[in-house]
Amino acid sequence: MTAIADVRSHPPKKPVMSQRLGTAFLEAEGLGVTFRARGNVLHDSDAPADGRLVWSKSGRLRGVRALQDVSFRLSQGDRLAIIGQNGSGKTTLLQVLAGIIAPEVGRLTAVGRITSLININLGIQVEATGHRNITLRGLAAGYSRREIEARRQEIADFSELGEFLDMPMDAYSAGMRMRLTFAIATAFEPEILILDEWLSAGDIAFKEKATQRMQSFVGRAGILVLASHSPQLILDNCDTAMWLDEGRIRAYGEVRGILDQYNSHSKAVQKPAARPG
Amino acid sequence: MYMPFFARSHFDLGVVVRDLLAGARRPALWIAFATDEIQQRYRRSRLGLAWIVISYLVFVASITVFFGHFSDVGHSQFTVYVAVNFAIFTFLLGNVTDGCAVFRVARTWIKSAPLPHSIYIFKSIARSLFVFAINFQVAVAILFGFGFRLHPIAWMAVPAFFVLLLNVVFVQLAFGYLAARVQDIDHLMQSVTRVFYFTTPVLWVRNENEAPGLRKTISELNPFTHALEIFSAPILGKQPDPHSWAYIGIFTVVMFVIALVIGGLSHRRLPYWV
Repeated sequence: MTAIADVRSHPPKKPVMSQRLGTAFLEAEGLGVTFRARGNVLHDSDAPADGRLVWSKSGRLRGVRALQDVSFRLSQGDRLAIIGQNGSGKTTLLQVLAGIIAPEVGRLTAVGRITSLININLGIQVEATGHRNITLRGLAAGYSRREIEARRQEIADFSELGEFLDMPMDAYSAGMRMRLTFAIATAFEPEILILDEWLSAGDIAFKEKATQRMQSFVGRAGILVLASHSPQLILDNCDTAMWLDEGRIRAYGEVRGILDQYNSHSKAVQKPAARPG
Repeated sequence: MYMPFFARSHFDLGVVVRDLLAGARRPALWIAFATDEIQQRYRRSRLGLAWIVISYLVFVASITVFFGHFSDVGHSQFTVYVAVNFAIFTFLLGNVTDGCAVFRVARTWIKSAPLPHSIYIFKSIARSLFVFAINFQVAVAILFGFGFRLHPIAWMAVPAFFVLLLNVVFVQLAFGYLAARVQDIDHLMQSVTRVFYFTTPVLWVRNENEAPGLRKTISELNPFTHALEIFSAPILGKQPDPHSWAYIGIFTVVMFVIALVIGGLSHRRLPYWV
């Protein structure tokens, strides 16, 4: 019942269609991702050393290590928050977990139906109507037309878009797009739900609704991975947190403790960084 | 840390075949994608899909008017020759140029959903097949309109078309990955496609260009020449040149191997490139 997305293969779309509840499982072992740099960036010996940058022997920038040695293990009902500064590797890690990019090194084992919402604008045909996008995203996620039709009403209700669903999505506001994509992604009962920080852009009413929905889904023994800068959203939805710093896990543990550590660290580094001019 | 152009340790020879099979199992998705693209392209125009027929007819008409007299075959025969050849030629050439952009235009999906890459290739081919189907019907209508009839040998165009379709898949795959990695491929193909318009027997008749020489050599090396021969000759009532079948047969195998290697090297890195 285990699909192993090792470094040699493209991770399968739906690792395993497990019918039993409570079998969701996600394990990362030593994940590493390096983005190759293009162009001609020369090493500046005066610049502060950045462990993420990879230089060639002749001093040219060859790549950026976005993730290094990331290992963790999640099972049914786990709700993991990923925190860290911009550029710390949060989105890259989510993309690896979602099977979108293959890790350079390491191994990812995933059991369960994965649904990921990593960028709100991705995977949407803005020229098409909301209804059409429900169909397209449903098909892309591997569902049949019949399964999609069975859930259409529920998606429409949750998104509260009403007549707007018959209009092209480029007429939608950011909040409307978010409601619809979230409604679609969660309508098909994911076992592993991977969300990026855009969720925090919603209004209070939507956040509450989304939180409720996520909790009910995690209550049915799913796994939630949520990257966010919003402490409230994290505390409402997660029990564990991972602090990513320059692509490495800096701390991992109970959500409140990690958040406190992270906040006091952020305040400490902000003071010397505030230079005049 | 040394990083080669392609990370050799990640080479996976079978990945292309697995990807193609995974994509082929989900026709509902790529047909939906293709339908959307066609609708978007023509939605805001008044004449809509009629533009496919119009632009095709304009080309065929102008070629027969301007070039018809250079050919020894009768005027009506030349018109039918151009009509059939141009339909298949634009389909094939369009797929080469579409292939260069196939992954770039699907960038948002590649970065947001773990779908088989062949989905985007099948979508692109399905869309151009739709245009071809319309153009080809017009070509056949022209053929009948000028009083010609299909010869029994016309059935040979069917296997020819399927072989060409197979080639189109491999070509899109290879050029798709290459152009995603090396942008220059796009520019190269844009300049080369113009040359194909002259070196492929669409504006002129292949049999009338028998004198050996550079012109002959180039047009005989051109894969489009042979692709058109195996498809169009039977429809126009002639036995296709067995040399062309042999050429296309070898070309298919070579293209398959090239697609396997390029795909095997590129597959896992595509989301980083687009």
